[in-house]
Amino acid sequence: MKPRNLAILLTAGLALAAAGCGGSGNTPGAGSSPAGPAAADAPVTISVGCQPPKSNPKERAQWDADVAAFQKLHPNITIESKDAFPCIVPETFQAKLAGGEMEDLFYVYYTDVRKIIASGQAADITPYASTLTTLKDMRPDVISVFKEGEKLYGVPRTNYGTGLVYNRKLFTQAGLDPDAPPKTWAEVQAAAKKIAALGPGYVGYGEYSAGNTGGWHFTSSLYGRGGDMVTPDGKKAAFNSPEGKAVLENLKQMRWTDDSMGTKQLLRWEDLMRMMGSGRLGMMIGAPDVVQAVNNDFKGKFEDYGVTSLPEATYSLSGGDGYMFNPKATPEQIKAGLLWLEYRFLTPGQGQFDYERAKNDGLPVGLPATDLYGATAPGQKINELRTQFATVPVDHFKPYVDGTANVQFKLEPPKAQEIYAILDTAMSAVLTRQDANIDQLLSDAEKKVDTMLARSS
Amino acid sequence: MTTMTTRRDPGGFRRAFRRNLTAYGFLCAALICFAFFSWYPMVREFLLSFQKTNFVGPAEWVGLDNFRTVIEDSAFPAAWLNTAAFTGLALLVGYAVPFVIALVLNELRHATAYLRFVVYLPVMLPPAVAVLLFKWFYDPGPGLFNQILGLAHLPALSWLDSTSTALISLVLVSTWMNLGTGTLIYLAALQSIPSDLYEAAELDGAGLLRRVWHVTIPQTKLILLVMLLLQIVATMQVFIEPYLLTGGGPENATVTVAYLMYQYAFSFGNFGGGGALGLMLMLVLMVFSAVYLRVSRDDAN
Amino acid sequence: MSHGTVQDSGPRLRPSRPPLAPPPAPEKRRRKAPRQQFRGLVSPHTLGTTRGRVIYWIVLSSVVLGFTAVFVFPLYWMVTGALKSPDELARIPPSFFPDELNFDVYAEAWDQLELGTFLRNTVIYAAGAWLFTLAIDVTAAYALSKLRPVLGKAVLGLMLATLMIPPMVILLPAYLTVKDLPILGFNLINTPWAIWLPAAANGFFIFLLKRFFDSIPRELLEAASIDGAGPARILWSVVLPVSRPIIGVVSILAVVGVWKDFVWPLLVLPDSDKMPISVGISSLSAQMPQNVLMAALVIASIPAIVIFFVFQRSIMAGLTAGSLKG
Repeated sequence: MKPRNLAILLTAGLALAAAGCGGSGNTPGAGSSPAGPAAADAPVTISVGCQPPKSNPKERAQWDADVAAFQKLHPNITIESKDAFPCIVPETFQAKLAGGEMEDLFYVYYTDVRKIIASGQAADITPYASTLTTLKDMRPDVISVFKEGEKLYGVPRTNYGTGLVYNRKLFTQAGLDPDAPPKTWAEVQAAAKKIAALGPGYVGYGEYSAGNTGGWHFTSSLYGRGGDMVTPDGKKAAFNSPEGKAVLENLKQMRWTDDSMGTKQLLRWEDLMRMMGSGRLGMMIGAPDVVQAVNNDFKGKFEDYGVTSLPEATYSLSGGDGYMFNPKATPEQIKAGLLWLEYRFLTPGQGQFDYERAKNDGLPVGLPATDLYGATAPGQKINELRTQFATVPVDHFKPYVDGTANVQFKLEPPKAQEIYAILDTAMSAVLTRQDANIDQLLSDAEKKVDTMLARSS
Repeated sequence: MTTMTTRRDPGGFRRAFRRNLTAYGFLCAALICFAFFSWYPMVREFLLSFQKTNFVGPAEWVGLDNFRTVIEDSAFPAAWLNTAAFTGLALLVGYAVPFVIALVLNELRHATAYLRFVVYLPVMLPPAVAVLLFKWFYDPGPGLFNQILGLAHLPALSWLDSTSTALISLVLVSTWMNLGTGTLIYLAALQSIPSDLYEAAELDGAGLLRRVWHVTIPQTKLILLVMLLLQIVATMQVFIEPYLLTGGGPENATVTVAYLMYQYAFSFGNFGGGGALGLMLMLVLMVFSAVYLRVSRDDAN
Repeated sequence: MSHGTVQDSGPRLRPSRPPLAPPPAPEKRRRKAPRQQFRGLVSPHTLGTTRGRVIYWIVLSSVVLGFTAVFVFPLYWMVTGALKSPDELARIPPSFFPDELNFDVYAEAWDQLELGTFLRNTVIYAAGAWLFTLAIDVTAAYALSKLRPVLGKAVLGLMLATLMIPPMVILLPAYLTVKDLPILGFNLINTPWAIWLPAAANGFFIFLLKRFFDSIPRELLEAASIDGAGPARILWSVVLPVSRPIIGVVSILAVVGVWKDFVWPLLVLPDSDKMPISVGISSLSAQMPQNVLMAALVIASIPAIVIFFVFQRSIMAGLTAGSLKG
């Protein structure tokens, strides 16, 4: 589950992401946006979700400037921006989907994409995808999020793999080297113990166990260890395995034997952020966007945090967001929408990848927040530009960039929310009951997931 | 049901017709509001629970499938048990306590305005505020409650973080929020008890407790009964506490029927399942509500 | 959809006798005894003894202290909690007084929340809901009570049946209805109508009002109708003036109901500049530090406390009116 306010964070994070435009800086049309063939011939209006909220005035101004520039380029297209705060509120998201209230171009988390495609709540944009010139350079594992077979249903906006976020200041206080973050789970345990020993209220390692986030992080850890949530055909649970056991054993060890995870459990999305922001939490599973959130919303400071790759990881749960189209959208609207997406989110050097502007606006630049292109030409440009205009200590995120270079992204399981909800139970049991029986918990969860998958197929 | 009893006006058929026309003229705004925002959604909810639909394509009829789905869900029995337990605990705590408080307040002659004001204060707060506030008090580390226990040299509790205390912690929040209502209503009822009854009991040599038992309770029996039913109906629908405090955890210890329903509809997008749960809850509540209506009708006559 | 009143076990009254009914019909036991003469369980005589007085003062002071601790102290903790830095909030043991009295956090919460907008919206929704509720429910209750049409009982029964439906249950169908009104085809999403009209469909209010109107003596109305007044005229000049207490109660309940409702406005007012304050705060609660969240909660509580302070008479009277045993 990508909890609700991620949208905001990512919106803010856009400014940080990086891209290089085929080497020609900012001039639109310089080999990037195919303004010619796909340009709308007749006036068309599209509503687009997830405009940055008023409370982020700089990002909002950038968005509005991009809209104005885009409309100048395409006089026939009118963009109606819809800001929501946060971009996805679970209770309204489902209701809006059901009620057909979604924008023509609506914002989604990866988590919900499968279900939306399966229930026909998004338009098939395969026929128009050829207008996206950036598609060919995109990482196949990223674009596959929005694919069902050969059909394309949406376009990614941001993407990242999970890592380990840690508080460098606490590392220093606890006598650990912040430039040599833990590489194995054993090292994580040792570091957590030292941080928790700083005094009451200090938590070495924090973990979720409520609001579906427990299952989400269980999945992250399991993927990191090379395990799987479901069998390849998606019909059976696959997490009742040595890897799944190791995930829970590790937590049990830290929670009860080492006592390095604090007493407060049943945490959800914002709780760990808040703890990070108040400077009492040592480590948590997360991506660079976490640092973004901690800085923007919870009074943390960029320089105090670092991110490294998930310990011992060969695979990492991929997270991110993107846009899909309302099934009622007309072909003209879809074409116009793709033009806008490409202009704002996919073209190196402009829109979300306009680092120079972000730096001038005083927004933080330098977080490895999004990776759409991998090692292809645009991807390399991204890194160059990001480093060039960086305003945050890039070194602090180097372990993450280096460590994730050889890590394979892996998508969320089908029926993700339901599976996460079931695994919340196992996670909350391990973290709140000293006598929790891990084998029992995993086999119970397995039964539940099997029943649920059998029912829904 | 039909009332053609215009008592002083035999044979006034036209008059009766006119009266009905006027009456429905007066009623029409309310009827429209109810039809659109209560009755039609109720019917639609009923239909939803037998359908599988995502509102994009046409709905398909699936008979009892949705019911099967939710009944097979492992959280289903937990949800009903928790709801029953919550209701029971809330009755123990939230039903007896206001009555006792009202009995005490009724005897006091000073600071009454202040006491009434503060006891009702939490009722006026938006529920979300009260719940978020308690979430912060329950924090096992720096949270207020454990700090107070620490001052008293009592062991810290894990409050929401343990299957054994999570539910009662929710009941405490709920009671704190709603206790004022019951207290003030009982207080008003107590004030209407004629003094001579107490005086008579006193002459018979009845002690305090016997006076409560033989005078106070019989005199307030009806309101006690009505409040009991209302409390049951209200607490059966408990949602915001688990939603904001625990997300149903730990280990489904605080999943309630209303919360599960919400989860089905708004987190899994399974509206049929949510509808089926809603229908079941509705049927159970109807039984209690029917009793309530019965009681208040008897009272009316 | 009866929001609020059903789920929050808010005040409920069951007027069996209007407290200020017009020339009262002879009643069994209505004592408007002034408080001095009132006695409860304990006889004045017992209270007069030294021992009685000592016990009385012990009980009184412990009750006052206990109530202050249970109901006022949490609010104090909330107000001061907002003034502590996130670091201070995480400290163990917590500080009783904040390190520094810096009220900037309230300003920050105010700005972050665009509270002006939220408060204005809340006022608009509450005021409109109040007007519609009164206009629609009073006329309906009057018709059911005094004009007694054919099927009146069935209509009332259907209205009361809605009280058994938890708002949660019909959330989705109600949402779909508001999004696209059957027959009429209006879309009320993001308009105040989505709050106002459903608020008026409140069986509980109609029930209250009808019970009250039932208790107004027939003679009064008949006198007026002999003078040639029509039903509307009677409602306006005879029924309303004597129904002030119950109208006060329903008004308060209607306003408080809108104020306390949460999930429904969250759903039908998705635009951030249309949200009422409770929704605005909770949708933002996940992205602010603990102290700003506390400040936001304090600010959200203030209107409620002020309303209560100003109208406590009517609110208490409403509760009291309902529970007098006839």
